[in-house]
Amino acid sequence: MKTQVLICDDSSFARKQMIKALPDGWDIEIHQAGNGMEAIEAIKAGKGDIMFLDLTMPVMDGYEVLETIKKEDLPSMVIVVSGDIQPEAIDRVKKLGALEFIKKPISKEVAQKILSDFGILAG
Amino acid sequence: MHENFDEVYRDCFQEITNVAMGQAADLLARILNVFIVLPIPNVNILESSELHMALSAIDESRSVSAVCQGFIGGGISGEALLIFNDSSFSDVAHLRHNFNSDINENVELELLMDISNVLIGACLRGIADQLDLKFSQGHPKVLGRHVNVEQLIKTNAQRWKKTLAIEVNYTIEEHDVNCDLLLLFTEDSFETLKTKADYLLE
Repeated sequence: MKTQVLICDDSSFARKQMIKALPDGWDIEIHQAGNGMEAIEAIKAGKGDIMFLDLTMPVMDGYEVLETIKKEDLPSMVIVVSGDIQPEAIDRVKKLGALEFIKKPISKEVAQKILSDFGILAG
Repeated sequence: MHENFDEVYRDCFQEITNVAMGQAADLLARILNVFIVLPIPNVNILESSELHMALSAIDESRSVSAVCQGFIGGGISGEALLIFNDSSFSDVAHLRHNFNSDINENVELELLMDISNVLIGACLRGIADQLDLKFSQGHPKVLGRHVNVEQLIKTNAQRWKKTLAIEVNYTIEEHDVNCDLLLLFTEDSFETLKTKADYLLE
């Protein structure tokens, strides 16, 4: 089965940028969520093996998503992609279980490197 | 919503602002050694007479002080306004300099200039970088001190009929500090802004 990749951001422009930054030829299925609530539902439906997560969002923000994943032990590897680059923000999301933090705007090189570093991407 | 500035562009500028305001907050957070709470920026096309409605985060009855600074570059121009809640001065003074003496008018002015310099400069730079252009900034001007928002706006922003208004509200966690950064782009800038956004939206 293909890896299920979930992109969660309230901005459709940001989601599009994220999709463009994903490595070419990566055999995945892409899903999108416009806020944290939708993301949690998608993960529960098996659509979020790997999630790229924004922090500042309406309804349910990225911090709350991480807390929920932790509390309910949901199966998702989370990479936070955010414009909030304060050291404290990076610290907080890592403590909440995020695998890595990528600052916006994301580039193809950075996405490729992080996915390789974590062994998500073979080769 | 302006007919020529649809949801796609609004979303795009909201995201561009999101990145730029994050860079500005990071800078201020390091200077003051605090955590800054970032909101979702408001992006709207407004008649300048509706500008007070854009200031959703500032209580109209509260006393504020403000600085404005013009910017221009690459066919885009506008003004940045930093509106500072007067009640924030004592906390910022403490964070910034550990002033022991009472806060006087001079100290307030220095703090106002300091904060606006950091936030306006970094935010404009963040936006310009993403749009691949450069803004020149004019001299900062004190717009009003200890006034309410209505008085502030009445004396300003009547220069253009329509404006693209971007509002970012910064609050500092665990401190009583609150300010509003407003970026007002002239109507003449709309076409260039859209062209620049089109490159990113491709």
